Amino acid sequence: MGSAMSRGRTVRRGVARWRAGILLTLPSFLFVFVFLVYPVANLVHTSFRDFSPLRSSASPFVGFKNYDWMLHSDTVWHSLGVTLAFTVLSVLVELVIGLLVALLLARLVMEMKSAGARFLGKAANGIFILPFAAPGIVAAVAWKMLLHPQFSPINAILGVQIPWFTDFPLLSIVVADAWKTMPLILFLALSALLSIDNAQFEAARMDGARPWQEFLFLTLPGILPVLAVACAFRAVDAFTKVFDIVFGTTGGGPANDTQVFPLLIWQTAFSNLHFGQAASLSIFAIVISAGLGWFLMLFRRVR
Amino acid sequence: MRKRFRPAHLLRTLALVVLLLATLLPIVWMLISSFKTEDEIYLARPTWIPRAPTLANYAALFNQFGFARLTLNSLCITLGVVAISMLFGTMAAYGFSRYRFPGSAVVMGALLLTRMITPASLVLPLYSLMQVLGLLNSWTSIIIGITVLNLPFVVWMMKPFFDQLPHEVEEAGELDGLSPVGVFWRTAVPMAAPGLYSIFLFSFVAGWVDLLFGITFATTPHATPLTAGLMQMQTGYRIYWGPLMAGGIYLSLPTLILAFFFQKSLVSGLRVST
Repeated sequence: MGSAMSRGRTVRRGVARWRAGILLTLPSFLFVFVFLVYPVANLVHTSFRDFSPLRSSASPFVGFKNYDWMLHSDTVWHSLGVTLAFTVLSVLVELVIGLLVALLLARLVMEMKSAGARFLGKAANGIFILPFAAPGIVAAVAWKMLLHPQFSPINAILGVQIPWFTDFPLLSIVVADAWKTMPLILFLALSALLSIDNAQFEAARMDGARPWQEFLFLTLPGILPVLAVACAFRAVDAFTKVFDIVFGTTGGGPANDTQVFPLLIWQTAFSNLHFGQAASLSIFAIVISAGLGWFLMLFRRVR
Repeated sequence: MRKRFRPAHLLRTLALVVLLLATLLPIVWMLISSFKTEDEIYLARPTWIPRAPTLANYAALFNQFGFARLTLNSLCITLGVVAISMLFGTMAAYGFSRYRFPGSAVVMGALLLTRMITPASLVLPLYSLMQVLGLLNSWTSIIIGITVLNLPFVVWMMKPFFDQLPHEVEEAGELDGLSPVGVFWRTAVPMAAPGLYSIFLFSFVAGWVDLLFGITFATTPHATPLTAGLMQMQTGYRIYWGPLMAGGIYLSLPTLILAFFFQKSLVSGLRVST
């Protein structure tokens, strides 16, 4: 009888829990459904139409014309190439600098004995996170000023007169973007570094290991999984989300040399007002995002 | 022994200080420039200390560029994003963490994929939707655009915090006769406070820094956020460098201050979100 009662309660609780689960997740689900799933479905609809609101409010069905344009447009492929180059360079710069800073900070934290070192460690933590919190548009205008052809302080320090955003446009947006996103790699690497068991280093030192051997055989394997995941996430974000930095500096120029894919979508829609073409580009971007996202999920599971 | 380590130690500290200064340079240069007169900004040999420090650029933000209204817009948009993201996001994260129900895995997976979506690809269809709903040029449209991308992120970030919580306290709450929703609100939410700080910070930053939806959905100062205001200071004809730098400082100050003081929460959020 006791067991029957408890079973009854479990079942009741089971149903209550089931209901609670749906109740708790329903608002988010509805929100995302109405403002994401429905718009994306609408996007598919638009992508099969010739819709240029500037020219006419009519939007005749044109089949795969927009997709055909997309697959054969030099602008589109050029943009994808630019985005890929931007992604690779940006993640590379972030990784090198982020890792370097993380290693320096980790040593500082581990050897923190003097009050000065402790202060430097604390201040460094607070300062290195700042670019991450700076609005993208602010990073853009700050670097636009720093690299200005006429009054750049960096040019003044180097004693040169280089119009960075004109002569090295891709490199310039990479620097601005890497500055802003480096803290992500830095702090993930730092927490991984600090969680490596110190006893391993002591044992290695007892065995007469050199510093570079320590780095290669202890430090690097210890943080590699974290670094790999962080870089994978950063790469996907760089590829799919880069916008503010370019929009606020070069606007895609000179001559489309920095027209990254998200910017191409926006400009096709809201500068050229080709909604149909922009819709097909958006669908393409969503397919890429889904593919990359799926890849990230697998990657996380493997880790 | 001690002596042998000293130079390396000094070198490392020096390298760290140089990297710190390089990291600060864009913000510091912006700050310096924001106090300069227009003539001084245009000097070919830039000065590191303003010769005649002035607040004219900051005054221009409000007199010339309507920053009072833009600030109100940015604040309300950010509050909207934070409120919806935190309420809905916390509920959903808890739901996914504690309950299995038909379709929960699929919905969770779909939410996570949303995290990867290209924001620019959503602007056009949301623009059309807002047009139909008559919401263009309103805070609401911008809030919705930002939140729909932030919400999945919040769920994804908050779920691990609930996963870590011990079930015992909630079970005790259940035995005391609390409903599942009561258990969530009275026991789980207070215990997940560190996670709440993180998602507050991320949602605040997401709302405050958004440019994409602000610049697309807002057509008049009625709804334009500060970020879009900064873009408007760079017209094709001229760039108002002084006010632009002042505006950059003004816009980034709230998030910089939050980040500096809540660095730990931000980093712990980063850690669970990758």
